[in-house]
Amino acid sequence: MKESPVQQDKKRVSLFGRGENSTVVMMLIFFFIAIILIQLITSAVSGKVVYPSFISPVNLLNIIMQVAAVGIMAMGMTVVMVGGGIDLSVGMLTSFVTIFIAKSIMHWGIPLWGALILVVIIAVVLEMIMGYIISRFSVEPFIITLGGMIAFRGIALIICNSQEISTQGALAVLKTNLIEGAKGPSGLNLTFPIYVVVFIVITVAIWWLMKYTKYGRRVYAVGANRNAAYLAGIGVQNVVMSTYALNGFLVAIAAIMLLARVNTAIITVGQNLEIDVIAATVVGGVAMSGGKGNIWGTFVGAILLGSIANAMNILRLQSEWQFVAKGVIIIVAVTAGAIVQARQARAQFMRQIK
Amino acid sequence: MSDEVILSLKNISKTFPGVQALNKISFDLRKGEIHCICGENGAGKSTLIKIISGAYQPDPGGNIEFEGNPVNLTHPSVAMKLGIQTIYQEHTIFPHLSITENIFVGMEITKNGMMRKVEMKKKTAEVLEYLRSDLKPDQLVDELSSGEQKIVEIAKALVLERKVIIMDEPTSSFSANEIDNLLEIIKKIRERGIGIIYISHHLEEVFRIADRITVLRDGLHVITCNAKDVDEPQLIRYMVGRDASAFYHRDFYPLGETVLKVENLSGNGVHDISFEVRRGEILGFAGMVGSGRSELMTLLFGGAEKTGGKIYIMGKEVNLKSPINAIKNKMCYITEDRQYTGLFLIHTIARNTIIANMAKTRKFLVNPSKEIKTGNTFIERLGTKARDSRMLAMNLSGGNQQKVVLAKWFNTEGEIYIFDEPTRGIDVGAKQEIYQIMMNLLKEGKAIIMVSSDMPEMVSMSDRVMVMKAGRIAGELKREEVSEENILELSIGGKKI
Repeated sequence: MKESPVQQDKKRVSLFGRGENSTVVMMLIFFFIAIILIQLITSAVSGKVVYPSFISPVNLLNIIMQVAAVGIMAMGMTVVMVGGGIDLSVGMLTSFVTIFIAKSIMHWGIPLWGALILVVIIAVVLEMIMGYIISRFSVEPFIITLGGMIAFRGIALIICNSQEISTQGALAVLKTNLIEGAKGPSGLNLTFPIYVVVFIVITVAIWWLMKYTKYGRRVYAVGANRNAAYLAGIGVQNVVMSTYALNGFLVAIAAIMLLARVNTAIITVGQNLEIDVIAATVVGGVAMSGGKGNIWGTFVGAILLGSIANAMNILRLQSEWQFVAKGVIIIVAVTAGAIVQARQARAQFMRQIK
Repeated sequence: MSDEVILSLKNISKTFPGVQALNKISFDLRKGEIHCICGENGAGKSTLIKIISGAYQPDPGGNIEFEGNPVNLTHPSVAMKLGIQTIYQEHTIFPHLSITENIFVGMEITKNGMMRKVEMKKKTAEVLEYLRSDLKPDQLVDELSSGEQKIVEIAKALVLERKVIIMDEPTSSFSANEIDNLLEIIKKIRERGIGIIYISHHLEEVFRIADRITVLRDGLHVITCNAKDVDEPQLIRYMVGRDASAFYHRDFYPLGETVLKVENLSGNGVHDISFEVRRGEILGFAGMVGSGRSELMTLLFGGAEKTGGKIYIMGKEVNLKSPINAIKNKMCYITEDRQYTGLFLIHTIARNTIIANMAKTRKFLVNPSKEIKTGNTFIERLGTKARDSRMLAMNLSGGNQQKVVLAKWFNTEGEIYIFDEPTRGIDVGAKQEIYQIMMNLLKEGKAIIMVSSDMPEMVSMSDRVMVMKAGRIAGELKREEVSEENILELSIGGKKI
């Protein structure tokens, strides 16, 4: 191909995609610096400067472990929201999945792997039904998934008789520590369980799917402008439905990881989880209106929100404050993102007319 | 008709960004007259009535008088209070309410906060009787035909004792019977001393009811005259007539084989359409807004369900069930509304460029850096003013956005190009560039179908013109017959083919 004379500036091509994620990355960095400074200052005041425990390897791994399940779900939510939808049912779907697995292996005598495969299929089918309704009848995804959320809650409660079920460590294999025996500088044991690996693998896979495949392009196109997408030869309805199906798959995986961590299936496992998931997604720069955002932004968003609770703990602040902090961060992140974007647009426009 | 003027406008202008929609228009309406406003698409008719109904504010400098007093129509409610009722083309009616309730909605007769239902019903019944209508006050509007719904709106204006009634294209989608009935009713209410402003694309209707006629062209007032002093050809001559400079001088190329042939195509509101297009040719589709041109193009492109007829591409019959089939059959559709159906505004030029071609490739993977290169190639080829193809489409001007849409379709290497309003909202310089791009397509032996409401564009760019009216082909004009007069005559005249 002929070399284009249009100048290409290479320096801004990066993993984080053209500064699209700059806001959330900056916020994460600021947050870390702030916590580190607080820890340094408080320790200095008490006489002896120590290495801030917030960024000790043990704690960093802790953050990732705490974030894993929400993070996986946020990947699915990102795909749905980029496609122009939203899914409020993910929290209750998580509860349903955990309860279904526990009930299957503890009471119904279904082997573990059978139960896992079955539950993944069920989750995908349930999401596909919602996706089908949303895409064929053009109804608001907010309302359909709200209905789904309430219905899933009911199904889950019926299955477990409103009681909690212990899995007695049946999924312990997912907690296998891959760096058994490794110790941090302070002598504490480091843990890097399999489910963290799953989280990272899924993040990379969805990033690749959204960035390097035709499917990803189509999801973005449908989210940005349905009519134009249709006239450009995209099967809009199927694309929308598929985003929900993919989300169902990822929610099922996340729920399995969560069950492995908490060992008990109970309705509260997934309660309000959709709030955390949507929060991570929007903090990461995904637009509610669709067509915009990317996986790394969501990844950083999930880590940022996950570190808040952790930091509150370490600073021995009342845990209730974490909600205030999370809320403020969501508002700041989204507002800052909008301001930065407006500035960039104006700069681009000025360059054009010059 | 008395000579008493009820509403008068002097020196009214209205400027939109980049467009002078009205330029120092003066207009007056007398008591008890039917005053028709005529003009081509974009002549300024709708802008004028929107100013009278308070929906638009005119530019400073003009003045409006109502019953001799200067008024400031800052809001539709102000106009309504004065007694100006606008009946829009699309219905502004509440389907689940009865006729009475529709008439009095927001204006209920009350006593001590209670509604006086009996009184409202009685008034409605009186007016319906006066209009010699069979409708009953309690009937649900839902059950009425669109013609009957118009009568309800007129009844509403009468019950509320309006002094001016504005009707914008009231008869679109009416049967012949309903039109007769409505025109009779309009003539009847004139006797009450109401001033009526009537806008229609159908000159036949205009001559049946008009007392006076005002002609607008390109936002300018051309003439106001008594209806009995003009005839149809003369009126059309007032509506057309422009400087030669408004026309584009194009080159003609030898015509090749027929690439698209349509036989008796029906569906999506159009009926029985037949035509063919050859390589190196621009086939224009003219007609008034609402005559079904865009609907036909959407149908052709597989965006609506076909109810009959056949489409042949390169001599082979094709079944275009969706745009995917159309793209695979080398069709391209540059839609009328860039932002709504053409562009992905929040995405880069590169992504906009490659999106339609994905329907043709089987590849599962995409290559972002190659997309940027493809985007840049088209920026260069079409002369798009953009830094590079990673710029977002939303940050481009109208003309450059149109070039991005063109890049999207050129990238599919199509053979048949449908241009719906190719230069709407584009400045003069960019217009010429778009025309040149279309010429290049012809030179390469592509075929073009062009829909346009821009008369000079239609006349100067087309090899042949199909004129549409009410969802059907009203006639075909050969190259030497293509003129503004002939197009208008077919699209609004009473003449049948």
